[in-house]
Amino acid sequence: MSGKKIARKVLFNVLIAALAIFWLIPIVWLVCTSFSAYSGMNTSTFFPAQWSAEHYLKLLQSDTVNQFTTWFWNTFKIACVTCLVSTFFVLMVAYAMSVMRFKMRKPLMNFAVILNLFPGMLAMIAVYFTLKTFNLTNSHIGLIMVYSASSGLGYLIAKGFFDTVPRSLCEAARLDGCNEALTFVNVVLPMSKPIIVYTVISSFLTPWMDFVYSKMILNAGISENYTVAVGLYRMLDRSLINTYFTQFCCGGVLVSIPISILYIIMQKFYVEGITSGAVKG
Amino acid sequence: MEDILSAKSGIGGFFSNFGTALARGDWSVKLSLLWWGAGYARRRQFAKALLMTLVEAGVAAFTLLFAMQYVPKFGTLGTVQAEQVFNIATMKTEWNDYDNSFLILLFSLFSFVVWFAAAAVWMRNVVNVYRLQLQAEAGRHVNTFAEDLRSYLDEKFHITLLALPALGVAVFTVIPILLLILVAFTNYDQQHMPPTNLFSWVGINNFVTLFSGGSSVTLGFGYAFVRVLGWTLVWSLFATFTTYIGGILMSLLLNNKMVRWPKLWRTMFMVTIAVPQFVSLLLMRNFFSNGGIANTICANIGLTGFLRDIGAISTAYIPFLSAPGWAHVMIILINIWIGVPYQMLIATGVLMNLPGDQLESARIDGANPYQTFRHITMPYMLFVTGPALVTDFVKNMNNFNVIYLLTQDVYTTTNQVMANAQAREVDLLVTWLFTLTQDYYNYKMASVIGIMVFVVCAVITLVAFNFMIRGDKEEGYQ
Amino acid sequence: MKMKKILALVLAAVMALALVACGGGNNAGNPGATPGNNTQKDDNANAGEPSPDAGGSTAGETISLTLWGAEEDQSLLVDLVEKFKAAYPDQTFDIKVGVESESTAKDTILTDIEAAADVFAFANDQIDDLIAAGALLPITGDMDAVLQNYAGKTIADIQSANSAATVATATRNDTLYAFPMGGGNNYFLYYDSTRVSAEQAQSWDTLLEAAQAAGSKVGMTLNSGWYNASFFLGAGFTTALNADGSTSVDWNGTSASGVTGVQVVQAMQNIAGHPGFLAIADGDISNQIASGNVCAVISGTWDADPAQTAFGEGYAATKLPTFTCNGQQVQQGCFSGSKLMGVNAYAENAGWAVLLAEFLTNEESQVARFNARQLAPANVNAAADPSVEANIAIAASAMQDAYGVVQSVGGKYWDPAKSFGEQIAQGAIASDDASIQTALDELVAGITAPAN
Repeated sequence: MSGKKIARKVLFNVLIAALAIFWLIPIVWLVCTSFSAYSGMNTSTFFPAQWSAEHYLKLLQSDTVNQFTTWFWNTFKIACVTCLVSTFFVLMVAYAMSVMRFKMRKPLMNFAVILNLFPGMLAMIAVYFTLKTFNLTNSHIGLIMVYSASSGLGYLIAKGFFDTVPRSLCEAARLDGCNEALTFVNVVLPMSKPIIVYTVISSFLTPWMDFVYSKMILNAGISENYTVAVGLYRMLDRSLINTYFTQFCCGGVLVSIPISILYIIMQKFYVEGITSGAVKG
Repeated sequence: MEDILSAKSGIGGFFSNFGTALARGDWSVKLSLLWWGAGYARRRQFAKALLMTLVEAGVAAFTLLFAMQYVPKFGTLGTVQAEQVFNIATMKTEWNDYDNSFLILLFSLFSFVVWFAAAAVWMRNVVNVYRLQLQAEAGRHVNTFAEDLRSYLDEKFHITLLALPALGVAVFTVIPILLLILVAFTNYDQQHMPPTNLFSWVGINNFVTLFSGGSSVTLGFGYAFVRVLGWTLVWSLFATFTTYIGGILMSLLLNNKMVRWPKLWRTMFMVTIAVPQFVSLLLMRNFFSNGGIANTICANIGLTGFLRDIGAISTAYIPFLSAPGWAHVMIILINIWIGVPYQMLIATGVLMNLPGDQLESARIDGANPYQTFRHITMPYMLFVTGPALVTDFVKNMNNFNVIYLLTQDVYTTTNQVMANAQAREVDLLVTWLFTLTQDYYNYKMASVIGIMVFVVCAVITLVAFNFMIRGDKEEGYQ
Repeated sequence: MKMKKILALVLAAVMALALVACGGGNNAGNPGATPGNNTQKDDNANAGEPSPDAGGSTAGETISLTLWGAEEDQSLLVDLVEKFKAAYPDQTFDIKVGVESESTAKDTILTDIEAAADVFAFANDQIDDLIAAGALLPITGDMDAVLQNYAGKTIADIQSANSAATVATATRNDTLYAFPMGGGNNYFLYYDSTRVSAEQAQSWDTLLEAAQAAGSKVGMTLNSGWYNASFFLGAGFTTALNADGSTSVDWNGTSASGVTGVQVVQAMQNIAGHPGFLAIADGDISNQIASGNVCAVISGTWDADPAQTAFGEGYAATKLPTFTCNGQQVQQGCFSGSKLMGVNAYAENAGWAVLLAEFLTNEESQVARFNARQLAPANVNAAADPSVEANIAIAASAMQDAYGVVQSVGGKYWDPAKSFGEQIAQGAIASDDASIQTALDELVAGITAPAN
């Protein structure tokens, strides 16, 4: 290799390394602060003055403000059920819109596009009162319903994938005597592993990240019911931030680890899914 | 078989079918107007007759027991104020039969939706019974109940598939949206809050308030609306395009053959999206707040002093997130930090399918990387992800998290007219809407703003899609 | 056929859910009862009750109550609730204790009043909004009999047992709307006596110089209408809440003491522009104290611990300083502050809720609360205790209370005042009289705008 080429290669890699480091600075700060011995927010130095892992221990023990383990478990339960329901809904809608042909197909698709144009925040108070009518506020079931009920509207990516499934396979299944339902279950679904994994993971992640809806619905002040998002957010209340900021950072780190792992897994399947969808335009 | 009645589709066809069925149907068809199961009973489909009778009874029960409590009050939205009397014997308070305006609105809307569905079922029922009659007259086989059920797994499988998701969407998206549209025509705000107070219809007063411009201090809403809308559009434009281009560039960078360990770098970028936004954005906010670390570092290295000397800032700190111009720029920059890894992911996927032969021929022709990028890569990307770009633009218009988490409690407006409308220069329409509902209970203005957001998004989407359809270059890639 | 079946399914499901809702409206005994069917709720409350008898008729029925208290109070409240149950052994109670910050109680309550707790603690700045929304049960009329029968007190007793200032914050139109729980919710000056002497802490000019000499700063929140009103209140300006919810202020004119608003603003600008001054964002004070950036700060009793930690040996507190205005020294005023315990007007068991609230704010409870988290008691006897008087922060708060004004502002006050404070903090108003007068006129126009 010529000297010039080596120099270019080195420069390239240095550039990328610099970008990656730059991108990770806030995350580094998050992790460093979580190992700080000081419980409040440190505004004078980037790295903590004293290092200690004690706040992780404090986080994992419960007190009146912090019930992180309970929150983690709550969010896990909600996420599992949500991802089940959401995946069902999304796949069902995507199959119906992509593979089947019926009179209301185009109107329904347009209607879905229109619904997506409304800001989500607008409907919050109405959803809250709808849940209240059925006594579902301050319950995890209510929260699950909020996250998963409208998930059918997010069918586009899955539909894009189903569009790439060769129609000849479906025809062959029909000739073999399968009705539509069996075609769906026995032929199309097994071929759609990438998109199923993608849908499962992205709907699993929703309850972990959302704090607006959970804050609104879990409003009885009973902190054992909180999800991780609400619980951590409440730690930043101005009367608590001095004592709990480091624990907030610890909580952030602990929550990010499983989410990162899931994202990395999802990345692989997402790229497959998007690619197949993208080629058809 | 299904369309023996009318080849017309859509709403017009629906009504004309109904008319035909009524005109030419026999007595069982006409009886179906009153008793929904009549037609099926005649054709010996007793199970369906029973089902339809139950549904009809259900609708009637619903109307009498539930809807009649609320719909009559829909016009006035309640007139009876809440009054309480304390009963000292039972130590409880007793309330009169007061009206709750919001519940009247919600449940009336509910009833209207149910009635609308019932009416459609009623009319469709008549048409179907007429179809059965035609089938019987033509001597064709009339389905048994079991056969009908089986069809739900076959030709009508889409109904089975869509039933539950559609219900979920109807209850959790459609009804709330309709409800909030209705609220925009009432005076539901902090002075008129149920259950203690009643609110009523005010027609288009709220829209007038929003659009009456001028900078009079008391007419803040019109003033604020124009500015917030302006920033929303500017923000969406910058946010979408900076992250899009950034994602493409980053993806090209990482895909380049000269890079060692591309997977490692890609994973490092992924970590930034993996940290939940409410953690990473709150951290960034604290990082850049007036007394935060970034400011401390800048003060220590003398940057703050330098900026003060040249008159760029008037305070003892750099107002990264608390002064209008600075905050706008910082928000866009921080959004680049958040959005680029995600766009990079998408760009990687799309670029993998870039026809290799085009790149080869370009290289043979002696094009340098920049020319390749400009004439081959970018057009391909734009073609493939064009629609996604438009939806991303709309999504960024509603990008609540970034703005809210970064500026909550940190940014105070110094513009009194904006303050009177509870708006700030960095607000998007959705964050303004959120503040109005959460902190000020000003639901009426929030609903009006929500409707305007929808209108703006819809217009942009329509214009953009029409524009793209005209400039179709699909052939180039096939 | 297809569409019909879709619609039929939707219809059936919707109806099923609606019938569930109708059924759900019969939960008369539930604190979180659905509000849908008020007639049924009414009937159930009346029917099936034992014959009227003043006292003892509710024995045998479980009385359920929900209570919201601050984070810091949780363990104390659990103890006090047990004592409450022991004080009324004839009744069966089911009392749930939840967490709600006293400074944000209003937000959660107003989102859904009927779902809010029966008894809740809140800071007095929220009382006007709560009353306007009908969330507070007036402690009057029949409640007097209830209190006499069960707690052996009258409303007048409660009013005289607590300090006049705290009772004033809980009273509107001569009616008591909440039980005084704690005083000392105003703000005063903390300072480090090793760097600032008690003499220097008396006036802003000397205070700022001392801070600058010590290489540190004096911190105050300017971008909050709660804090920046102190300059105007001290100079004799007033605020008033009108019956229709709008606010009246006279800050752009001349006050009763002959000072003009322009002069007050100029004084504020002099303070804000001093290199020894640090304008702190609303809510960030605790952080700033903890990070050691200030040697004196204006805050309230809630920051006693951080201040004590930060200032160590030199921990001291006193009333607010005086500021130079029109050549004279004017004492900085403040809004009177208190912590109150209110009863939800929509509480099912209103009588028992009142008794619970009273119990949680009686003398013993207030003493217990002081011991637990140093909340200054509103009760006169408790406040006279030597250990209370020895508490530096509480003593300073009491000192400042002499200059306190009851807060009576409407909803439109806060945002313009916040912006105005921010303008001063950022130096966005020019220092000539005309610009200041314009800014003041804008401020007043915004504050006095009709309430929606």
